[in-house]
Parts: sequence; C-alpha cells; structure tokens
Amino acid sequence: MKYLVRSQGFGATVGVIAMLAVFTVIDFSGWWTVQTLSNVTQFTAILALVALGQALVIMTKEIDLSVGSIYGLTGVAFITLEPSLGVPGSLVVALGIAAAAGFLQGTAVVKGELPSMIVTLGGLFAARGIIYVWTGGSVHNFSPDARTHALTRLLGGELFGIAAAIYWVGIISVLLSIMLWGTRFGNRLLATGGSRESAESRGVRTDRIKTAAFVLCSLLAGFAGILTLCNQPQTHVTLGENMELEAISAAVIGGCLLTGGRGSILGVILGALIVVGFRYELIALGAPSSWYITFVGAVLIVAVIFNQKLARFIGHSV
Amino acid sequence: MTQQPLIQVKNLDLYFGAFHALKNVSVDFNAGELIGLVGDNGAGKTTLIRVLCGIHPPTKGEVFFDGKKVEKFHPKLAIDQGIETIQQSVGLCDNLSIARNFYLGREPVKRILGIPFLDFAKMREKSSRVIRQFGLRENVSADDEVERLSGGERQSVKIGRAVEFKNRVVIMDEPTNHLSVREREHVNELAVQLKEQGLLVIYITHDIFQVHKLADRIVIMENGEKVADASTDSISAEALEDVIRQGGRLVEKQEAV
Repeated sequence: MKYLVRSQGFGATVGVIAMLAVFTVIDFSGWWTVQTLSNVTQFTAILALVALGQALVIMTKEIDLSVGSIYGLTGVAFITLEPSLGVPGSLVVALGIAAAAGFLQGTAVVKGELPSMIVTLGGLFAARGIIYVWTGGSVHNFSPDARTHALTRLLGGELFGIAAAIYWVGIISVLLSIMLWGTRFGNRLLATGGSRESAESRGVRTDRIKTAAFVLCSLLAGFAGILTLCNQPQTHVTLGENMELEAISAAVIGGCLLTGGRGSILGVILGALIVVGFRYELIALGAPSSWYITFVGAVLIVAVIFNQKLARFIGHSV
Repeated sequence: MTQQPLIQVKNLDLYFGAFHALKNVSVDFNAGELIGLVGDNGAGKTTLIRVLCGIHPPTKGEVFFDGKKVEKFHPKLAIDQGIETIQQSVGLCDNLSIARNFYLGREPVKRILGIPFLDFAKMREKSSRVIRQFGLRENVSADDEVERLSGGERQSVKIGRAVEFKNRVVIMDEPTNHLSVREREHVNELAVQLKEQGLLVIYITHDIFQVHKLADRIVIMENGEKVADASTDSISAEALEDVIRQGGRLVEKQEAV
C-alpha cells in the first residue's frame, strides 16, 4: 500500500476507479459493452503511445508540443509514400522522418539552450504546414493490396478480437519501464530531470539524454500515427490535431510532474484512459463534442492539484 | 615536498567575455595534502576549481595533472581522471535513491541476454556499506530517496562516493555551510581522513580559522589573483585574515576606478 501511494501513478489509479464507478452508475451509452470497451481501449492505446513519449520528455523537465503534428506527418508520409516504397519501405521512411523531427527539435533545445515549449511550438506549426503542402488538403488512401499486406495487418488488425494497438502499447510500455528503471540510460534520464546540474557534475551528458528523449517521443508519436492508419488507412490534414494537448494531459494526469524526474508508465496509460473515457462518454451523452475539450481541461487542473498535493504529502519537494 | 605535484597550475588566465576572472594564477597541489582555498565572494576560488574539474577551459596558461599537460577540459574527463568535486547544492538528485545517486554516471551493469541492466544488488550493497561507514541514521536505507537526508548526510554520501571510487583529488566547495556543529565536525574529520589516505583535498571556504586547523597549506585568492600561498605552520590564521582584509580594500579601490 505504501509503495502504491508513493508511486506516481497513484492519482491516475484513483481517477480511473472513480471514473469507472461514475460511468457504471450513470450509464448513458452502455459503458460495459464489448463495443464501447473495444473502442475506448483502442483509442486509449493510441493516445497512450503518444503520451508515453511525452512522459519521457516531461521527465527530463522539457515538453514536446509537436507530437500531434508529428503523429499526423508520420501517418501522411506512411500512406503517401506507400505506392512508391511499399508498406515496409514507407514504414521505415515515415519513422525516419519522425526520428529526424525529434532529433532536430531536441538539438535545437539543447544546443541552442532554448525553451522546449517554443521550439516544439515551432515544430507543431512547421510539421502541420508540411502536411497541408504535402497532401494539398486532399484525402489519401491505401490501395487494396497495401490494406491486406501482412505488415499492415500486424500493425492495424486484431487478434482474439483485440486491436493490434493494444498489444503494441503493452509491449512498448513494458520495454519503456525496463529502459526507464533498469538501465543506465533510464537512471541518467531521471537524473537529468531531477537535477540537470547534479547529473552533469557526475559526467552525465544531459544534452544527449534530452535529445534521445525527444527522438523517442517523436518516434512513439509517429508509430501511433502509423498504427492508426494501418487500422483505418485514410489520411486527412487534421490528423492528430490537438493530440499534443491530450497527450500532455494524459501524462500529467498519469503523475508525471512538470518539475521533472518523476513519472509512471502505468500512470500515463491510465491517464490516457481517463482522457479517452471522458471523450467517449461525453459524446455518448450527446453533449456537443466541443465540450469535451473543456472537460479535459477541468480534469487536467484537478489532476495537477491532486498529484501535487499528493507529492507534497509524501514529502517530495515540488 | 620533493615529489612532483599532482596538479600544477601555471600562469592561468581566464576571461568571461571582457571580464578577467583569473589573473596569471600559478599553484602546485600535492597528493596527500589538505589545501585550504580561501577568499571572499568573487575572489576567483570557485572559478579556479571549475577549471580543475573541467567546466571552464582556461583562456591562457597550462594545467598539468600527474605531470601530463591537460589538453581537453570536460567534466567527464576530470571525473575519469579521479577528480571529484563536492559542492553544497550540486551532486545529488533528490528524486533518485541513494544507491542510484551513488553510481550515477558510472552505474554497474549485469548483462542478461547481452543487454546491460543496472546491477541493483551491487549498487545497494556497496552504497549501504558506505552510508553506514559514514554515519547515516540507522533507519536510512540505500533505496531511500536522497530527499529524505539531512544536509550533513548528503555531504556524507558525496564524500563516501569520492572515497569509494578511489579518487585522487577531492575538491570540497564550502562543505560545511548550513550544517549543524556536530555535522560540521564530522565532515571536517572526513576531509582529514581523505588526506590521510593519500588523496589531495582542496577545501574551499570563507572561514579561515576553521580551515587553518585542518589544512597543511592555505592559498588565498583575491580579485582573480593568488595573494597568499603559505603552509599553516609558517603563518597564523590571524595573519592570513589580515591579508584578506587588505585584499578586500584593494578590490574596493579598483572598483572605484
């Protein structure tokens, strides 16, 4: 119990339990139905991937506002390059574009000593602009061959009635947990967020750590975009819009402190579940979908207050 | 001492833009010596130390380590050479456990299927032993976050780390600020212990009387220059304090120009 309360994911765990209780009692749409659960879990998986990358960046005490645009850009690249490169080829190139975007932004932040909020705000606009120019505003589709390609099915199909994205988020979150808590890189990443000066005094190359976090964040956002498009192979220019806000919300609700160095992988996934659950339920409720943004905002503020109070209660200096 | 100095600083100049931070500084530092580096705020003592631990490359002049000229300045290289700096506010990450902090930057790994994972057993065992040896509370374990520790305990962890990694040089930057009397004595004892083990200890402080009791030699910096370099046997703390006072007046005169 003590361990549970001390872990950063505690707030999100309480939040999920409360949310599920409320949705069970006030059941507008048949929350506990296969249809609802499979939709909610799939959206959660996609958002969780983006939010996990975001969490890594937040843990280094930076932020990445460009994830929504990178998600869209990678997806667009994957679909539009497929006719000339094939599915595996365009997958690799699309992820390469995502990694390059992360590297550029990370390098600008650490070498230029610029605030990541500004650099990645630039990235948000720049990548979205490229999507508009590249697609010319038109919708792109996969060919029937590409839709049935083994790789497309591996990334976008389902197994035992469960969407591929859910398996992927499971695998990736386990790998990220091991990386974060069990490797040198993870130890140094947490140290960089905890106290950059102290980490550097121990010889940690915090510039490389931060750049790596930005690259991983963009890769995960891009991979999430690809997973989405393998499931529904159709691009539009708004792909991934506002996703940065949802991803940051999920990460923060999930217990990642913006002061850096603390977070929880499980918490981030639960945070994504809360964001998606609210969206789904509000739409089912028949509320205008725009209200959902307001709700996420309200939940975010409550979560930040809760998580900070909790952190202070435990005795962290935040 | 007839042996070659462990660190030799020769005619060192350092500019930050137009600001002349270190002016033609030359000092020899010998292994097994505890040297008190004293001076007022802005005298250049911390700047000199930052050159030694690789943070600032000098503008002019040379630094020799173990007889070899230092060509590249980088904190990582200094750490690899065995130069450890213990600063009051820097060196430990509050969000990590003692064991993780202890090994930060040189974590031991155990390969499983060829993948290097942190060797938690080793990290825990070694850091536990050290924190006992350096007198941390009984109920503090290596898995506790550093956040829980008192100021003196933090210093103990840093000093323990310096000893454990067989460093050759330990630079202590104001190690006893904000410490209780007992903790201060404890830290000072540790400094002498390090010296007796053959390490070079550079002890930076404002408190000339405190360091005079510990040190073999005192170097006084003033306004970017070395104004005194004397063994503690040859000059009293009071006489050294006079030097600092005069230096202080000099600084005011120059600022008025």
